[in-house]
Amino acid sequence: MPNSVGARASAQSGVAVKQLPYLVLGLWGVVLLNCWADGRLNLLLHSNFHSLVLATGVIFLLLASAGLLWPPSGPSRRNYLPMAVLSISGIALMLWPPKPSLSTLAANRSSAQLGDSEISFLSPPEQRSLSDWVRLLNSQPDPELYAGNPVQVSGFVLAVPGAAPEIARLLVRCCLADATPVGLAVRWPPKQQWPKPDQWLQINGVMAVESHQGALRAVLVARKIRLIKAPARPLEP
Amino acid sequence: MALLNEALMQQLATVWAVFQGLLLEAIPFLLIGVAISSVAMAWDPRGKWLQKLPQGALMGPLSGALLGFALPACECGNVPVTRRMIAVGAPLGTALGFLFAAPVLNPVVLLSTWAAFPDKPWLLLLRPAGSVLIALLLSGLLQLLSESDLLNGELLAERNLSQPLAKFSLLERRSGLIGEPIAQTKLVNQANRDGDFQAIQLLSHGVNEFLELGSLLLLGCGLAALIQTLIPRDLFLLLGQAPTLSIISAMLLALVVSVCSSVDAFLALGFAEQITPGALLAFLLLGPVIDLKSVSLLSRVFTWPALALVLAGVCLIVLVLGQALNLVLL
Repeated sequence: MPNSVGARASAQSGVAVKQLPYLVLGLWGVVLLNCWADGRLNLLLHSNFHSLVLATGVIFLLLASAGLLWPPSGPSRRNYLPMAVLSISGIALMLWPPKPSLSTLAANRSSAQLGDSEISFLSPPEQRSLSDWVRLLNSQPDPELYAGNPVQVSGFVLAVPGAAPEIARLLVRCCLADATPVGLAVRWPPKQQWPKPDQWLQINGVMAVESHQGALRAVLVARKIRLIKAPARPLEP
Repeated sequence: MALLNEALMQQLATVWAVFQGLLLEAIPFLLIGVAISSVAMAWDPRGKWLQKLPQGALMGPLSGALLGFALPACECGNVPVTRRMIAVGAPLGTALGFLFAAPVLNPVVLLSTWAAFPDKPWLLLLRPAGSVLIALLLSGLLQLLSESDLLNGELLAERNLSQPLAKFSLLERRSGLIGEPIAQTKLVNQANRDGDFQAIQLLSHGVNEFLELGSLLLLGCGLAALIQTLIPRDLFLLLGQAPTLSIISAMLLALVVSVCSSVDAFLALGFAEQITPGALLAFLLLGPVIDLKSVSLLSRVFTWPALALVLAGVCLIVLVLGQALNLVLL
């Protein structure tokens, strides 16, 4: 009798061991769905990849359910270390959502060179986004062309070593790993402290021309600055 | 001290976010690769068809490279497919040709290259051509090694099951007549004996493959996130217009940045004007073969010395190709 109890317990633990991989897979299904639902993908990935993450999460959950319902009968691999690594990291992903310093990230990367083909000439000046302005300035670099144009843009404060901070956005083609900054030089109101890096601002002002390192450049003269919440989609395609 | 702590915390928070970005982008492609590998296992469990793929120093890698059009997967997804090909006894040259060239020779990557650089038709021609050349040369180089020096031990044991027993000495039959069989090879062996491959065994294979490669992918993404956040990217591009040094710096950037081959052309668009044409080509050729993110995955295919040979070989080939292009265009 003790033998049969031991055998039953051993068989049960064998089934539990076989189900472990599916539990880890299910956990990752939940992690991916959670990442999709809590909006962090807007901060991490180009929108083209969001549906892929969602579909992968659903597939993981379906496969995990199938494996838990019908555990395999044959011998199974003991992937304890990979399972532990994946479980711990999956739980860490759920517990600690990403809170990157966009300014720190941007400071490490050179500004994006935007192609001429991407310019949107149709928008009137006050409707141009920050990246529209940067595209325009890249393609038609004569700053005199825009002097006096009204501007309303939003972005985060990008610290520039040895100079006034810029207002910037990050462009992403794949994920945060390839994010590159585009920024506009800003002439901040005198007698006011410069804003802190990473703060999100909406700035109303006008374009002007200033001399910078021996050349003329366009600068946004800030007239009205408003602190705003980070947008739901902080990255631009 | 407080400022230093704050700066460090910001760096760590940024590493964590970049890590998540890389990982969440790569996991669906790993799933696609594991799914293709599992379907191949169900369709051809004994590798009858895969073993009939063309052999030879030229036809093997070429046919493997062209498989990229049929099985479009980026560099994360094609590792499980390559493992499956090798495990069932497909010609080594074909499997290696697929591993090295398929991340470029697939419709998604070619279209994205064209979309990013419509003004550089030479790139649309040279990227796939360079990729095929890399596959041919690298496959030839690696096949100079014996399979035991080349392949990861577990993969080699599984591959040996598909080879005629007479090919091995008694001592080499670790998973055959003597020695403790490895669980996975036993699983495959049993399934092969049974003939009818059950869906649940397929699922078990796929899940185990995902767990193993997924944990290695985590490691690769962590390393890539750490290095690319802590080292300014401009350092890699400082040597912009110097013909040889610009190629080397673009290669270093490709190794570190670790983005998927389907979007790396768009990333390159951001700095293409700052570097030489050879450096641009080098960036687009090297990343799909090897980068920080994929090194750990490739360790499930190759032994570490063979992996070092892959890295050295591909770097040398890419450097020569980039240099040749600079000689012509500069």
